[in-house]
Amino acid sequence: MTISVQEKESWKGEAVPAALLMKEDLMSWIGSLIDVYAVYGPKPKGNNFSFERIYSSEEIVLDYSTTILPLKKFLDPPSEAILGFEEGSVSRLPEGGEASKTLLFGVHPCDASSFAVLDKVFMGEYRDDRYVRRRENIVTVAIACTEPEETCFCSSMGTGPSLEQGYDVLLTDLQDRYLVESGSPEGDAIIKMIPRATAPKPTDFERKKRSTEDTLKKFKRKVVTDRLPELFRKNLDNPMWNHIRDIDLACGQCVLVCPTCYCFDIRDTSEVTSANGERVREWDCCVLLEFAEVAMGGNFRKDRGARIRQFMGHNLSYCIEQFGRFKCVGCGRCIQACPVHIDITEVASKVRGG
Amino acid sequence: MKDPYVPEKAAIEKIRRETVDTKTYTVRLLNERKRAEFSVEPGQFIMVSLFGIGEAPFSLSSIPNSDGAFNTTIRAVGNITSALDRFEEGAIIGVRGPYGHGWPIESARGKDVLIVAGGIGLPPLRPVVSKIAQERREYGGLEILYGARMPDQMIFPYEYEDWRKIKDARLELTVDSVPANTVWEHNVGVVTTLFNEMKTYPENSVVMTCGPEIMMRFVVRGLLAKGFAPSQIYVSLERRMKCGIAQCGHCQIGPKYVCKDGPVFKLSDIQGLPDLAL
Repeated sequence: MTISVQEKESWKGEAVPAALLMKEDLMSWIGSLIDVYAVYGPKPKGNNFSFERIYSSEEIVLDYSTTILPLKKFLDPPSEAILGFEEGSVSRLPEGGEASKTLLFGVHPCDASSFAVLDKVFMGEYRDDRYVRRRENIVTVAIACTEPEETCFCSSMGTGPSLEQGYDVLLTDLQDRYLVESGSPEGDAIIKMIPRATAPKPTDFERKKRSTEDTLKKFKRKVVTDRLPELFRKNLDNPMWNHIRDIDLACGQCVLVCPTCYCFDIRDTSEVTSANGERVREWDCCVLLEFAEVAMGGNFRKDRGARIRQFMGHNLSYCIEQFGRFKCVGCGRCIQACPVHIDITEVASKVRGG
Repeated sequence: MKDPYVPEKAAIEKIRRETVDTKTYTVRLLNERKRAEFSVEPGQFIMVSLFGIGEAPFSLSSIPNSDGAFNTTIRAVGNITSALDRFEEGAIIGVRGPYGHGWPIESARGKDVLIVAGGIGLPPLRPVVSKIAQERREYGGLEILYGARMPDQMIFPYEYEDWRKIKDARLELTVDSVPANTVWEHNVGVVTTLFNEMKTYPENSVVMTCGPEIMMRFVVRGLLAKGFAPSQIYVSLERRMKCGIAQCGHCQIGPKYVCKDGPVFKLSDIQGLPDLAL
């Protein structure tokens, strides 16, 4: 079917519903979502925030700073049984995940983008059915960021401060109201639940555009992505790796807080008195010494510098050949978490001679 | 679609001791249909599963026979391999795969084939020798250079006479050292010391090498010095693997997954990658 530009515009307008939500109605809207979904959202935890189950709409704090832990736990749990066995046979295949829909409310664009990276890994040639089941049950209500943190650089990675795709619903703060846009049929239904919704005017989309432009000016960190994967590979022997090796603690916090680090270990657990047990998949970490160990004590990444280079390279370079997009979504968590201030944006700058 | 992590049950039909720590296991899938479907290229690997102990990757050391039985030759050096070492004939194990890319057996047709192996690196190359022997007229000369630490560490010694009888084939053996009171009529020295007498030339040939990475490093250097091009040298790499299907991340070398893009690589495809001893 050929669609003229004009037709396409109007058709697009119909297919992507949007509404205005007055801020005083936010709580009642969240309340009605809680009636339908298992809702998780940003809640204060100490001086920080964490995505937790929301039982009452007032618990959500939408004006939140990057959560310490990323949202990968909803798609890729830290530990999960992948099969059960009894007497030398597979006896059980755990389905994994909640059967009911889980709605994540107030997801930052970097975190919403991280799901697309994980999809590439677990829904490629070999589908991980447990992942797919969880993924299909996740509803993403994202919110465009207006106050990036010191460590944020999503604007460089094409993953923020707003989103073009990868959400069911996108909220944009327009001071007294939110512009609420749908990105999926599920999103359409959620928008229909907005109390006293009004139709947005072209000026509301203009305000959204201006808000994004204003936010872009606030970023402190920047990564130039042009030819970055290739430049990284030309700098595997850059002297900066010696410096990093000297200061690096190999603590693995960067990997733990990375929203797209997906590497895992598989091990068997069994009851002491029988041959029954489970095969368990659990998060692993490439900056730890044991990660690349092979039989007889061989280890191809014994060097700490080589291990952190693997983490950086996977995020900024190797990912392109592996799955066609940057793994790094610019959330800045690894920079915040690093006890010795190793900064992925500095690495990216040094490989271009910065 | 089937869950890729569920292994097929297989029986260990036969166990043959190769050396003090290495055995060849003849394995056959129990399910008749799966057995018929099981097709494998020389150099590919399987994940062997011992429930309650774990899984590990192993290359096949034979082409599956008409009954669907195949061999895998394993050295007992870790948790899983040591547990397997205690298994007896008739025991049931789990098998997933085969996975990865094997030796360039098709593109090697019409060419001379040089095989350079070290220690436990010989088993993944044995199917190549069988294939060439079976389809002898399809390939040029066959030269096998094999090194082990000591004479009693050599794998498949009972087949060497047959290999030598393959038309236009040459087998040379070497060991790092010979203990006192041991008869050894072959070369002493690392495998590259056999390169002086090498009969294979770079013209119209292909090299397949497998062994410890440090050995392959010197093999590659020696070959390049003799005028072989990186595009005609194939190496089989060993890395930690947990999944075999490019998800767990352990076997990555730069952008490559050894499980999916390898374990056999054309040297020119991996030169310059990080964390590689080659």
